[in-house]
Amino acid sequence: MLGVCLALLTSCESRQLQQVTCEPGDASLILVAQAVPTATLLPCITEFPVGWIFGGSEIRSGSVRFWLDSDRAGLQALEVSLTRQCNFSKAVEVTPGADEAGTRRFEEPISLPPRFVANRYYVFEGGCVTYRFAFNVNASPTLSFDVDEALSFRPRAALVEEMRKQVGLELCGAGASPCPG
Amino acid sequence: MTAYFLVVLIVVVVFDGFGDVFDRFNTERLLDVAALRTAWLTDVAEFVAALGNPWTIRILRWGTILALVVVKRWRHLFVLLGAILVLEIVTYQMTIALARPRPLGVEIIGSWEGFATPSRPVASFAGTLVGMLYSLVIPGRPRNIGKWIAGVAIVTLAVSRMYLAVDRPTDVVYAGIFGVAVVLVAFRWFAPNEAFPVAYRRGKSAHLDVGGRRGEAIVKAVREQLGLTVLDIKPVGLEGSGGSTPLRLRVAATESEPEQNLFAKLYAKNHVRADRWYKLGRTILYGALEDETPFQNVRRFVEYEDYTLRLLQDSGLPTAKPYGIVEITPEREYMIVTEFFKGAVEIGEAEVDERAIDGGLRLIRNMWDAGLAHRDIKPANLMVRDGEVLLIDVFFVQVRPSPWRQAVDLANMMLVLALRSDAKSVYEAALDYFTEDEIAEAFAATRGVASPTQLRTEMKRDDRDLLAEFRALAPEREPIRIQRWSLRRVGMTAWVVAVSLFALLLVISNWNVFS
Repeated sequence: MLGVCLALLTSCESRQLQQVTCEPGDASLILVAQAVPTATLLPCITEFPVGWIFGGSEIRSGSVRFWLDSDRAGLQALEVSLTRQCNFSKAVEVTPGADEAGTRRFEEPISLPPRFVANRYYVFEGGCVTYRFAFNVNASPTLSFDVDEALSFRPRAALVEEMRKQVGLELCGAGASPCPG
Repeated sequence: MTAYFLVVLIVVVVFDGFGDVFDRFNTERLLDVAALRTAWLTDVAEFVAALGNPWTIRILRWGTILALVVVKRWRHLFVLLGAILVLEIVTYQMTIALARPRPLGVEIIGSWEGFATPSRPVASFAGTLVGMLYSLVIPGRPRNIGKWIAGVAIVTLAVSRMYLAVDRPTDVVYAGIFGVAVVLVAFRWFAPNEAFPVAYRRGKSAHLDVGGRRGEAIVKAVREQLGLTVLDIKPVGLEGSGGSTPLRLRVAATESEPEQNLFAKLYAKNHVRADRWYKLGRTILYGALEDETPFQNVRRFVEYEDYTLRLLQDSGLPTAKPYGIVEITPEREYMIVTEFFKGAVEIGEAEVDERAIDGGLRLIRNMWDAGLAHRDIKPANLMVRDGEVLLIDVFFVQVRPSPWRQAVDLANMMLVLALRSDAKSVYEAALDYFTEDEIAEAFAATRGVASPTQLRTEMKRDDRDLLAEFRALAPEREPIRIQRWSLRRVGMTAWVVAVSLFALLLVISNWNVFS
């Protein structure tokens, strides 16, 4: 009884505990697509590297935020956000990875070890995804490589197609036919 | 409650299995609404949608909480907080469990946050308005008008959110019903209007309103069950009574008796609950001093008082003659009817002469001899008529009480009598019925909870330290400890502390719900 009640203690926060995964039909990912309807790519979690867990998410019209906790890098060691636009003027462009096609990648180191803090931006048509690394003191910056394993992008168009097939309705926004209203 | 859980269950099951069907139905409705979109109508919808804004709800809730604190309507306050907490937690958990995205197939033009079903802003707004209505607005015409206003406001918010396509019709309908139901059930269950009426006049929460339908029910029940015609009902002695609603009934003449006044005490479920809390509090503060088993229902409550009245009558003690029990609402409200002491004055306002002092002390002696204790000897429960002391309110009477309790009755009686006379006269008169050792034991036993609140208050008002005066007159005696420790007391205390801490943590952790 007490356990159930204690579990409810955290339930009323606006932060959600539902993961934004790259799985087909993931409800959170549909919500992400609705939050920034212009974004042609959607950030999502493919798998968790050892020591990383899902922290929470905030999905609202205009912006999406979710974060991961690490047993070594600390709580909210990585925060991922999706917005229509972002300011990457202080960042340096680097070559995106093989699975990051269709994006431009920018790196912005803010502080180096002992406390590693950095921003990474992925800019693409209709949206911008920011990875904010904020590691604990003495946590190795190499932990940021884990993130490449954990996160990926799903094309919005694929989700639009899924919705058409599943419910016969349009997921309004980029990649969809114009919606009424 | 059953209906409310059924609604939750049905919606969860239905949405889980038939979400797509609902989506298509909803989209068709939203497209109908979206066809009406114009620039000015969109401005209006955005303005109205602000009713569901967290700041709007925050202001309404904090305003209500503040108002309830100002008018000291604590029960309503706690019911409101509890209901809102439950509403927010359940609504939130349902949005997560159902995981329904925002409407598909129509352009969303408003602001939103999180999953869509049920609509949290609509549920919060509806629950808040119902909470305000049931905690602040007087029942009857004002509340009925309030219900219409609240209904229009909720529907307006719902329509605006559909217009902006942030919610589906089913999201807002379900949220509206759910928000209203949770808070309404909480108030009907924990602060029913019959027992805790919202009123802006002075009075104790234990006192029930005896006008309107309840008044009619009392008249009808007394006629059918006691064969008496009630001509008038008037609350009396409310100041000295905290556990029931005392009434004076004027009844028409019968073949055997002339028109007369009768005394009645009306009990409802809240009195049983109050008794339960009172006994729990005593157990925690002092341990099991005596039988602290609570009554289970109102019927047993009045049955016990009727029994004690008849027992005292049989023992020849000067109490009111019982006329019987009247059932007003089965298992909810009962009334006990007794003789009304015509011409009697409460001892606190009467002249207490030698005869009255003797009468009061003899009364205690007779109770001791009959193996009884009154347990609530205080000015409000002692009447004086022609120098004779009469005993009323015998609900706490105990058969075969502990010597400690009998000793306390004696001390309390002596203190009541001394309040209107002096300690020396009362002490000397007491020696006619009790030994010095018995009196010494009585004052050694009398401390804290042993004396009723009213008596302690009267003693504080008095310039004299009557307790010290009596103790000085009686032989010296070590104070009798009233603390009783047991595993049950430790367990209950630990449980209450744990529940209180949990409630506090719950409120702190969910502070954003209230604000």
